[in-house]
Amino acid sequence: MSTPTTLRRSVGTAAATATSAGLAFAAIDYLGVVSILAYAPGTTAALAIFIGGLIVVLVSSIFSELNGLYPSAAGIRLYLGRAVGNRTALSVTFTYMTTVVLVIAADAFLIGAAVRHVLHEPSALAYVWIVVLLGLALAANLRGVRLAGWVQTIVTYTVLAGTSVLSVIAVVHVGGAFRQPFDLFGRGSFSGIQAIAFALFLYAAFEWVTTTAEEARRPQVITRALFIAPVLIWIVSTLFALALAHLVPYDTLHGSATPQLLLGTAALGTVGELWMLALTVLTALNTFNGGFLVASRFMYAAARENNLPRPFAKLNVNAVPWVAVTSLTILSGVVAALVFATGQWLMLVSVGAAIECAIYAVGSLCVVRLRARVTSERPFRMVLARPLASFGVVLFSALFVATAFADPKDSRRFSFAPFLVIAVLGLLSSLYVAIVVPRLQRAAQARSAERRPTRRPSRPGASGPPSSVAGD
Amino acid sequence: MADWDELDEALADYTRSCNENERLRKMQRDWSRVLHFVCSDNDVTFSMTVDHGEILSTPRGLEGVPDIVVTTTSETFCDMFWGDLNPVQKYLRGEITVKGSQEDVMRLDAISYVIWPDS
Repeated sequence: MSTPTTLRRSVGTAAATATSAGLAFAAIDYLGVVSILAYAPGTTAALAIFIGGLIVVLVSSIFSELNGLYPSAAGIRLYLGRAVGNRTALSVTFTYMTTVVLVIAADAFLIGAAVRHVLHEPSALAYVWIVVLLGLALAANLRGVRLAGWVQTIVTYTVLAGTSVLSVIAVVHVGGAFRQPFDLFGRGSFSGIQAIAFALFLYAAFEWVTTTAEEARRPQVITRALFIAPVLIWIVSTLFALALAHLVPYDTLHGSATPQLLLGTAALGTVGELWMLALTVLTALNTFNGGFLVASRFMYAAARENNLPRPFAKLNVNAVPWVAVTSLTILSGVVAALVFATGQWLMLVSVGAAIECAIYAVGSLCVVRLRARVTSERPFRMVLARPLASFGVVLFSALFVATAFADPKDSRRFSFAPFLVIAVLGLLSSLYVAIVVPRLQRAAQARSAERRPTRRPSRPGASGPPSSVAGD
Repeated sequence: MADWDELDEALADYTRSCNENERLRKMQRDWSRVLHFVCSDNDVTFSMTVDHGEILSTPRGLEGVPDIVVTTTSETFCDMFWGDLNPVQKYLRGEITVKGSQEDVMRLDAISYVIWPDS
């Protein structure tokens, strides 16, 4: 059989790396660095980011193996389903998708706050900016407007290079001072662990590049991206953390939602502030383009599979699942407004970091189980897979606890709030899968029983009805 | 296992259903792609050329450089082109594999969803 291997438009290593880094490096990462500084003060943050990067090598190996087994946008459902069962897979996937809403909400809030800050407007106008930004994103998505791959690549590398250059300028700036180098446990016995857990958040979502596996020129492209993108994020985040530690006192950062603007101003005055504002707005292009796309298409597929109500699969004239996109926008707007009203923007970081750690623990568990259950060849095989993945289950579970009970506003205190938010999200997700999904499936089966007969003509010797029918 | 004659009959019906559906044609007005289909259980391969939402041809064999490559069993292809199964369910179970962009994968399913809303 002559199967073609090259698509007219396929993704190479540079584009896949840009996708991976672009998904990970959102505006919320600037706040993520401040959260690390809360636990690893001064230049110690760079040490935490480095250790976080080493741990991410394990994450890259885990997702490379899983992606090699199921190189598909539906990969997460397939490997979770085969490792832990369909119902658990669905609950986990729904909870995972809430991180997309959190990131979209965070970016809407952070960009609104940044624009308002630069224009010196009253704080209440941030609500207006949130509505305007999400409204623009909604309109673009409903019209089917998407960034071309090459634009996304340029945007990502511009944000990474722009942040790095300004950070280097800030680091060599005369007048600053490096503070508290290598003081990883200076804020309490667990502060170092919490700092590393928050450092992991900087890399979070880089693994979503696996959803583009079907576009990759070769399976190795995704594996390379999974290993190269974290290196880029490590370099940029380290430079940014060092620059903040050098020029901006932590007390100033502590209550600010726009640390990148403070750094820009400290390094280059108004030019630096506008520089960082431009980069912040650019990060939104990736978030609003990639985030909306991943989450709305997931909702469309879930509705087509009868796991979400059917209206979520409704398509508009541009072939966009408009109910899914509109619901995501409204939900993100409500979350962003809540965050602004309560001033709990660092809570987003804690919740996002904890959910990512939990996902990494589940991914490690999948590798352990699938090594025993699936013997087929994969393009990437982890070295020492079972011991390393087992270690990953323990490590990421511990880091989940470290972030789920962290209070980044006061590093000497523990807080139940992030854990409660995650517990509520997880519980709602599980209840939905246990109670609502079976009803949706029953309704689909009833519709299937009432629907038209099969259209395919029967043939002599055919073995009954089609191999699968709607709603099965 | 379905042979080429059965697949060809299914493809003819699918082509007619797609091209006669006004809403689908409007929805796919900017969608021009070359699709390759590979039956995993026999040697049958075929292509489909779509120009601005209109299916122009569905010849046997692999013609042109593809934007999308779909692989599954010949039976599943037949059921899919007759509108007797839900392609997303098969895809999410790993029984249909696709090479191509996520957007194109969704568009391909959207065709089935629009012409057979009860699938």
